[in-house]
Amino acid sequence: MADFEVITYEKKDGTGYVTLDRPHALNAYNIRMRDELYQVLGAIKDDSEVKVAIFRGAGERAFCAGADLTEFLTAPSPAIARQVRWARDVWGLFLSIPQPLIAALHGYVLGSGIEIALCCDIRVASEDVRLGLPETGLGIIPAAGGTQTLPRTVGRAAALEMLLTGRLVDAKEALRMGLVNHVVPRQELLPNAERIANKIKSHPQAAVVCAKQAVVRGLDLDLEAGLALEARLARLLA
Amino acid sequence: MPPNTLLYNIKDHVAYLTLDRPQESNVINEALAREMKDICERINLDKDVYVVIITGAGDKAFCAGSEPPEASYTAASVVARIDRPVIAALNGDALGQGLELALACDIRLASAEARFGLPQLTSGMIPSDGGTQRLPRIVGKAKALEMVLTGETIGAEEALRIGLVHKVVAPGNLLGEAEAMAKNMASKAPLSLRYAREAINKGMDLTLEQGLRLEADLYLLLHTTQDRTEGIRAFLEKRNPQFKGE
Repeated sequence: MADFEVITYEKKDGTGYVTLDRPHALNAYNIRMRDELYQVLGAIKDDSEVKVAIFRGAGERAFCAGADLTEFLTAPSPAIARQVRWARDVWGLFLSIPQPLIAALHGYVLGSGIEIALCCDIRVASEDVRLGLPETGLGIIPAAGGTQTLPRTVGRAAALEMLLTGRLVDAKEALRMGLVNHVVPRQELLPNAERIANKIKSHPQAAVVCAKQAVVRGLDLDLEAGLALEARLARLLA
Repeated sequence: MPPNTLLYNIKDHVAYLTLDRPQESNVINEALAREMKDICERINLDKDVYVVIITGAGDKAFCAGSEPPEASYTAASVVARIDRPVIAALNGDALGQGLELALACDIRLASAEARFGLPQLTSGMIPSDGGTQRLPRIVGKAKALEMVLTGETIGAEEALRIGLVHKVVAPGNLLGEAEAMAKNMASKAPLSLRYAREAINKGMDLTLEQGLRLEADLYLLLHTTQDRTEGIRAFLEKRNPQFKGE
């Protein structure tokens, strides 16, 4: 991944570090980032040495301020856009990663930024975080899973308010509504994410992967099928 | 002509529905149920309505239930068919079918003095306008069972804590708060509002994978709208967008 431009990826002691790295553009998500993210996610998924991954943003001002709109007006026809969306399904890949993913969020976490965070399993935020979905004010809706992942995280009413008003949520409110798991001072952000990662790594990896699978897949099943899935996974570990 | 039991007016793309039987705690009767159905159908045909606010007249009750025989009226199910964002401004007690009506709205704002409950079991009935299905989806199974099986009412603070209402405000500020939220929504692209709401409300009943398909299709459908071009151009030109709902 030596020729990467907008993402950096490193591996240290079983943790994969993915850094969105366009700080001059508040790490805005563009086509290049989509392609690099697709490669990185594929690499993580196939790499048994990576036990857990941490996602963060470079620079002081933002984790990711959303999609790069300068690329939007050159969009192809809806039919071609649809083909492209599923030909390189970065969001489906994101949600299919077996290892736990932790988002370390600071500054602006908007649009595609919050959608990346919602594809992760655990979200840690610094006190300066501002989260929101401005899409409806631009005549669009989120397209990286936000309309599905947000209500599954914070409930329908809170998700609808964020999406229909575009209002930004601060750290305190995000914690109260369950949008983030923890809020810490800015300098504590990465150490806190790493503490969680280290705790996860201290457990047998097969159990970690099975636990994530039981919870994530179970949420899409009725209770009976979810319990059967749990029992099957538990037998695998026995 | 009998007096109207439901006031309806539209201002700046926001439709206001006011249950207007304050002497009877805005209890649902046959006339009100019929007017509710007519108006909800009219809203769906009215391109000028971007957001809907439902509230009750007076400061005592939003809606304290329905006249017997309750099961013969529906209010929640017709409100649930509105295809625009619906905000409930709960100015007072929402009980029985009144709470079921509130549960069919997207966002519930409540006066600090409002109380909430589903007392149908005390008269040998069960909630029949969606309460047994919508309440557990909003507050979880245990709390829903407690409310339905005991029939006890809860106050606004507890309603906020369990997620039954989204926000609690002083009685005098309730309508202003609902209006501010509605105006904020009405400044967005109307089709984006509808599609975002559809993606969330329908998506919650689908598996994640099916929900993602729905989201992508609705997103791509918006590619064909003039409002999308206007919204992105306005952002890049650092000006306010002029949306037309087209």
